[in-house]
Amino acid sequence: MERQDLINKLTTIFQTTFEDNSIVLTDELTANDVDNWDSLTHMILISTIEKEFDIKFKLKDLNKMKNVGALIAIISSKIN
Amino acid sequence: MIDFIIRPATINDAAFLADTIIEAEKSGTKKLSYSTIFGLTEAEVKQYLIEIFEEEIEGCELSISSFVVAESNGKVVAALSAWAEAIDDTPSAIIKGNLLNFTLPKECIEKAISVNKIISELHVEYLPNTIQIGACYVLNEFRGNRLLGALNKIILDTLTTKHPNIDTVMVQIFSCNTPSLKAFKKSGYTEVTKKESNNKDITNFLPSNAKFVLKKDINK
Repeated sequence: MERQDLINKLTTIFQTTFEDNSIVLTDELTANDVDNWDSLTHMILISTIEKEFDIKFKLKDLNKMKNVGALIAIISSKIN
Repeated sequence: MIDFIIRPATINDAAFLADTIIEAEKSGTKKLSYSTIFGLTEAEVKQYLIEIFEEEIEGCELSISSFVVAESNGKVVAALSAWAEAIDDTPSAIIKGNLLNFTLPKECIEKAISVNKIISELHVEYLPNTIQIGACYVLNEFRGNRLLGALNKIILDTLTTKHPNIDTVMVQIFSCNTPSLKAFKKSGYTEVTKKESNNKDITNFLPSNAKFVLKKDINK
């Protein structure tokens, strides 16, 4: 999957999960930049990403993700 | 006079720590949000909490390293948790969310999706670079020994020594938990904000429709 296709798919997941169509993903985006990014919503976000991309994150991978750029890198490494 | 040993929690205390979280979440009611949100029995919640503790990821309310316990004659009788919020820029909500996603069955997460919007109405973000008090619990027969005060002092001393730039400690308490609210206010905490939901369904999932945030400046 091309990086832009991945970002487009991920953007849809973010916008649906946070119910906010104005979310634009950048590599630097973090939980601090998005309203209502609480533990339950984060859990739902990660679970939806796993389902949509048919992947399973390792806990140590998840805890290394500091921003959306890191998330994209890990998804890329798993699907490509 | 009963002698107590106060010490950091270890993995051997996981069952008591799970009870502590369960009792604190219920806030004196019978409503356990982990059960109502994820469709689990209390026994299942306890088992999953123990599994989460076994992963031991530091920095959130589900980390063993966030707890201190009081022991009497080799038996753990009280516990309290606190942590330094987002000290490495990762909010504790992210760590907790990762642990829940990793541990809980997918059907539990599916169930949570349907109630997330209601629950999030009472969400109050933890302020970065503060100490956050999490769960606390004392076995009934050991109440009245000022154990929570002792646990609180030790955990705050430890965290402020480790993070000398932090000058505020905060706690979130459901409005129905009058004993906790009174106890924290008596020990110098003041009310910062009250978050309330008018959604009549929220008490199907949480112990109360309102939550207080209290804070206290740390004396250096």
